[in-house]
Amino acid sequence: MNPLLPFLMAGDPSLEALPGLLAEAKALGLEAIELGLPHSDPIADGPVLQTAAQRAIARGATPLRVLEALAGITESPDIILFTYLNPLLQLGAERLLSLLGPTPVKALLVVDLPFGEEVGFEAQLRSAGYPMVPLLAPTTTLERARQILSERPDPGPAAPFAQRFAYVVARLGVTGTGQGTDLQPVAQRVGDLKGLSERPLAVGFGLSDLKSLAAIRALGATPVIGSALVQELAGGRSLSEALSERLVADA
Amino acid sequence: MTTGFSLPSRFGAQFLGGCYAPETLMQPLLDLEAAFQAALSDPAFQTELKAELRHFVGRPTPLTPAPRLAAKLGLKALFLKREDLTHTGAHKINNALAQAILARRMGKAEIIAETGAGQHGVATAAACARLGLSCTVYMGVTDMARQAPNVARMRLFGTTVVPVEAGQGTLKEAVNEALRAWAGRCDKAHYILGSALGPHPFPTLVRSFQTVIGEEARAQAMEQSGSLPEVVLACAGGGSNGLGLLVPFLDDNLRRVAVEAGGHGQALGEHAARLDGGRMGVLHGCKTLLLQDEHGHTAETASISAGLDYPALGPELAALALDGKVEVRRASDEDALFGARLLCESEGILPALESSHALALLSALAAEGAATVLLGLSGRGDKDLSTYQSRLGI
Repeated sequence: MNPLLPFLMAGDPSLEALPGLLAEAKALGLEAIELGLPHSDPIADGPVLQTAAQRAIARGATPLRVLEALAGITESPDIILFTYLNPLLQLGAERLLSLLGPTPVKALLVVDLPFGEEVGFEAQLRSAGYPMVPLLAPTTTLERARQILSERPDPGPAAPFAQRFAYVVARLGVTGTGQGTDLQPVAQRVGDLKGLSERPLAVGFGLSDLKSLAAIRALGATPVIGSALVQELAGGRSLSEALSERLVADA
Repeated sequence: MTTGFSLPSRFGAQFLGGCYAPETLMQPLLDLEAAFQAALSDPAFQTELKAELRHFVGRPTPLTPAPRLAAKLGLKALFLKREDLTHTGAHKINNALAQAILARRMGKAEIIAETGAGQHGVATAAACARLGLSCTVYMGVTDMARQAPNVARMRLFGTTVVPVEAGQGTLKEAVNEALRAWAGRCDKAHYILGSALGPHPFPTLVRSFQTVIGEEARAQAMEQSGSLPEVVLACAGGGSNGLGLLVPFLDDNLRRVAVEAGGHGQALGEHAARLDGGRMGVLHGCKTLLLQDEHGHTAETASISAGLDYPALGPELAALALDGKVEVRRASDEDALFGARLLCESEGILPALESSHALALLSALAAEGAATVLLGLSGRGDKDLSTYQSRLGI
């Protein structure tokens, strides 16, 4: 099981630092990471990721420059590109695919794209090897979860984690540390979803302390660490410092 | 493939609109659509809404002939649909009140709303006070400064006004923050969106609660002058007022015109004119004409009018414009100020800066040969007094 799925904001602290961060992540043994494409209107993000996106945009981390910075990088975990839809639509599927080709990106997590809204675009990306990560929120009924998992199907056990996993949103609201996340409903939800599907699950939103990460692992799922990590990196910690304990912490 | 909605979520030949929402909000949006449909077919809802619109809002609003202004502009006749005379002073109350009743039916005791000019915020705050719902309104700090009287009104009605510091501190940022807040409280709260935008079903919901404007105006025009005007004219930010007035005239053989904010220049960032300046994109849950840069980041906007200062045209109005059913024009800040002054001096009516953009277009319409015009006066201008004072030197 993948023990941790970290989130980094592309271009924060800088695009020049990105190859080094990815190499460091790979050296830590990480199988996959989420890489955020900074957006002007991140409606699903809390203050930490909003500010990180603003910093990155101010330093020139446009979608195009981020994808160009990723081209040719091999020393990297598999990348799940975390983004809002509009920048992708403006590139268009053809151009996006040619930009993604030489990068370690393996899947897309498009926060504001429910299944069924851009059918052709999504199908074109999936058939080229870039599936959309299914998101399951606390408000998602099990019936809807079943539908989401079938609209965004599991490519099967031979595919890497990045292309197989479903993202379980641990609580209502936006990304960020904020108040602690109540893990009781999360345990219930993960149990229910495991009954629906064989695919790996990642759980994120409001998780950062060692105890929460261990609790998610104990459920057989991969914890996601985002805002807390972005904040620590902005404060000058290295990726290894921020993640070493979190990678080994166990229940 | 079914997305689970039963009403059409797309508009026009280019399928604008849709529901581009984070997954957390999908079930609340599905529930909202179901509740909306149930309410529409429930006579009890219709009866309550009609009674509240009459006794609380003050509907029907008058259709006022404006003969002195018409003569000055070279028009044969001009009629003003007086949404400025509704309780709280703008058309926004039609939708805010209806959605508040809907929220109560859904068992939601908390209301979240965004506001630009503050008119939707004030309307929502008033509706919530009347229905006993708690209310939180998100408002950009720039708008709070330029529409200070409306902030005070909301607070008097017991609403919490949350300042939004991000970006330009205008309507776009307020919507961002309201959507985030709703994602956190969607189990208890209903989000009363004020413009005909956002994810499905909001554009349809808002339009259907605003078409009372055009339905009344059409019947009043027939009753008062025995015929329909040659042009029906309204200002358009997201499109709640534009659609509200224009949609009931869609089957008529006349010109339907919406006016956007031309701001103070032609370059991106100097206006909020989406039809010429925008490209197809997705913002706040819908696909529509959007002012954006080449990277798909939302562009900055500018307008003297907080209510029109928004980077996206509502999807249904954009679709009607692209399909040739509504003409979309623009009026600059200066033109709007001129239009406001003309109405004040000719007819003794102080218009909101938003409505002044429609007034600004009248002379152009007269020059194009229009003789009879019906104009939607979306709101009153008391909230804009400080801008009028400083810009007009009075």
